[in-house]
Amino acid sequence: MGEFVVHRVRFFDYMPSAIRAMAFNGSTQRLAVARGDGAVEILNFADNYFQEKVIPGRSDRAIEALCWVRGRLFSAGLSGEIIEYDLEKLRPRYSMEAYGGPIWTISCNSQETLLGVGCEDGTVKMFEILEEGIQFQRNLDRQKGRIISLSWHPSGAQIAAGMIDMIRIFDAETGHATHRLLVERGVGTTRNTEVVVWSVAFLSNDTVISGDSAGKVQIWDAVTGTLIRSHLITKWDVLGLSVSQVCVRVLVGVCRCHCRVSLIVSVLQDESSMIAGTSEGTVVQFQALASTMGQENNQWVRTRTFKNHTHDVRALVHTDTAVVSGGMDTQLVVRPLLDKVEKNTQESALRKILFPHKSLVCCAKKAGLLLFQFPDHLELWRLGESSAKGQAGDRLPVMKNPEKLLQLQNKGEDHICCSAVSPCGSWVAFSTVSSVRLYKLQLGNGNISIKKVSKLPKELHSVHQLCFSSDSSRLFASSAQASVVIASLDQLQCKHLHTLKPKSGSSQPIHLLSASENGNWLAAAHTDGQIHVFNLHKLKLHCTLPVYSSCPTAIAIHPTTGHLLSAHADQQVSAAAPLLSSESQTVVCSCCASVAADLRVLPEAEGVHGVEPQPAEGGAASSVAAEGHAHHTHRLQPQQAGARLPARRVHVLHHRSESGTRRASRRSVLILFSSPTAVLNSINADKINQILTV
Amino acid sequence: MTSQHGIMVKSKRGTTTASPKKSANTEITSETLCQGLESSDDDAPEEVTFGDSKNEALRSLKLALDSAKREKELLKEKRRKRQELFQEQKKRKLLPAEVLEEIESASLKKVKESSAAEEDEAEETKSLMKRREKKRAEKHTRNLEGNYTVTTMKGGAAVSFQQKSAEDFLQSRLYGPGRLRTTNNQMLSLQNKRGSQKSAAVQFVKKDWGKLQTQSIKSMFWVFLKCSCGIFLIMENKCEDNYAQNLTSEYFFIQIVLNQTKHAKKE
Repeated sequence: MGEFVVHRVRFFDYMPSAIRAMAFNGSTQRLAVARGDGAVEILNFADNYFQEKVIPGRSDRAIEALCWVRGRLFSAGLSGEIIEYDLEKLRPRYSMEAYGGPIWTISCNSQETLLGVGCEDGTVKMFEILEEGIQFQRNLDRQKGRIISLSWHPSGAQIAAGMIDMIRIFDAETGHATHRLLVERGVGTTRNTEVVVWSVAFLSNDTVISGDSAGKVQIWDAVTGTLIRSHLITKWDVLGLSVSQVCVRVLVGVCRCHCRVSLIVSVLQDESSMIAGTSEGTVVQFQALASTMGQENNQWVRTRTFKNHTHDVRALVHTDTAVVSGGMDTQLVVRPLLDKVEKNTQESALRKILFPHKSLVCCAKKAGLLLFQFPDHLELWRLGESSAKGQAGDRLPVMKNPEKLLQLQNKGEDHICCSAVSPCGSWVAFSTVSSVRLYKLQLGNGNISIKKVSKLPKELHSVHQLCFSSDSSRLFASSAQASVVIASLDQLQCKHLHTLKPKSGSSQPIHLLSASENGNWLAAAHTDGQIHVFNLHKLKLHCTLPVYSSCPTAIAIHPTTGHLLSAHADQQVSAAAPLLSSESQTVVCSCCASVAADLRVLPEAEGVHGVEPQPAEGGAASSVAAEGHAHHTHRLQPQQAGARLPARRVHVLHHRSESGTRRASRRSVLILFSSPTAVLNSINADKINQILTV
Repeated sequence: MTSQHGIMVKSKRGTTTASPKKSANTEITSETLCQGLESSDDDAPEEVTFGDSKNEALRSLKLALDSAKREKELLKEKRRKRQELFQEQKKRKLLPAEVLEEIESASLKKVKESSAAEEDEAEETKSLMKRREKKRAEKHTRNLEGNYTVTTMKGGAAVSFQQKSAEDFLQSRLYGPGRLRTTNNQMLSLQNKRGSQKSAAVQFVKKDWGKLQTQSIKSMFWVFLKCSCGIFLIMENKCEDNYAQNLTSEYFFIQIVLNQTKHAKKE
């Protein structure tokens, strides 16, 4: 039974940046979030809102709007450029200058053929979307003010543009402005300042909804160009609007003889709900309701007010079941609408995504150092020490305070993508989208000297994840095409040793790397759910774990037994044990099991799906899953009752062998939990064993 | 007319002291009025010879012209002096001639070298080279009259004027005057002050996370903990309350700001 000393670290001054724009892709259920520092994050809403990918920002990039077009992500900012992002290499693919000055808004028509961009000089520019890029098509009629917001009519024939003091409606084919809707200024002292129409929405029944800086949400008739209704919802600005669009799957055609059912996915404009975000932090929902039962005259009625934010709400998005809002207080709030989900289930809970899902802290175990990653610099701290002993749960007095050893500033404008420190504390590496830097540290008694390793192998250029081996002799870096680059570290030199490539041509980036203590194994996890284990002595792929439906969020290899543990986004922790000595690829259940025969490497489509695990108390309920894999579920009781731990169940994978014998073997399993308060708890393996025995 | 005015010195009406021009004019007009009124039929007009009046007229004309000329000349002088002053200042501003020559020759050399390199790559004849040079020179540089040349900047300015104005617009609409915004510090401090449990004002550890304005140093005392960044313990026991008991020995920052006049107690 071991004893652990827990360091409570509160000197990491992590400062998140404000959410500036959001865009939701209904077909892939991905939300793209643009932050104030230029970073773009992709969250997977189908997988428990996990932050899959982060494209780091730049110090001169300011994104104003985002737009999804058929799975491609475009952004536009005040630098006047339209940037398309490569979601596999996590970097901008290209940037196209629009030559209209700063761009305020970008919007795509429902047929996904044209991209409209609203510029500072008063032009709405049309870009054609091609396979390899975008191409300028034409300008619409130039206006005298700046174009702040754009919205296409669902048919693609008209565009509404929100400007200062007015809204213009353009005909998309001829390019001429057909209507001019004049927006009233505020009352009183605000009459002197111009009113800015921050957002517009064009509905299919030819109405335009606008939110402006005088705090009004106005509904206009686009055919006659008149105001229908005006709602004053706040004294300050209405910064964002969003109208719901529901994706509906329509079942079509059952063939009598073959009983085949074909599914057609169609997007229906279900424009029944509209949300407006204000400068006060409130989000007001309007719904199109008929004033009397049975009648067709739908009117927009203000229904709910959500007060989940403390600062301005600048970005709003409707998903199928929820309303997502984000703003200056850096929180992403997902509020499921109770008329679309069941009450009192996990689905209907309010979610606030506050912290980054990517790890920004790296620990040098042997040296007792912590490396903090900021967007533009790194900080290296030495942990404090305490020599006193105490009982479990005691607070120990600090003998030596933690000390900031080093602040490493990045030259250039790109933000830092990933960083790592070697366990002995003598190497620090970080990478941006354009370069990788490696430094050698020498920590003397009171002196710190740092030297930059100048010549790095050219294979290390676009790296998403860095990891040092436990003896600090190797640097592992994940690069393009899901391959892992191994470089050797020696004195001040870094040489390329090998590039590990998995068999399947997965192009998704690797976001997790973990090396084993004995230096034999390296585990790499991709954002599409695959986890590969490489044998470092033979420098080849050892096995691939069966793909689980949820993306892995953390992986680790046990120091002595070689078990691979992975935590997933749906709060499940799974353990697998690749056999150390065997040649073949095998996966063994770690707690109750028999050694299995070969494990087939499963293609991505055949994941391990099982029946929803029953919360059996201490018992094991096995359920047969696809392809001959069985699930064992065990309820893991945390030691402290008050601890907030996200993982509540352990799924253990077990391959059914021919003999069918199962003998209970006690193996020690070390599970690391991370909770949002940045406290790392580790639970002793033996204690788990007492619970896991079947 | 003027002769009449000029000669008409003697005035029977009083109050003709040394008076300014205006009053003299009014006096004269009043005098003429009075004269007009006074002059009865019996008084014969005074005799003024034609020559005298002519001379008078000419003299006054000359005077006027002379004064105008003098003024013009004065202005001219002023302008000339100013011009000289400016030229002198300009001369002082400019670098000494040798440095300018050096710079010019160096830039010319650079242009020549770059153009030569490009020509080598393109493999052109000398006549073409000259033409190209001229063309390039025309594209990038323009020679104005005098010793000025204008060249396009390489790389461009980091933030263009349009981008700056767009950013300013956004900033002024969200944070400019007329927007009632307050800092986190003020809001939390007011909450502490007005809440059911009154407590001290809030001060963030990092100075740039929230600013506390207009509080004199004498009315506050700060307590810092010794921490990794080397900030030492400062305790000024101006108040009877001793907060040392509340301080633990863990290494996180605690910062307490007390307002002496408020007698806030932390429990």
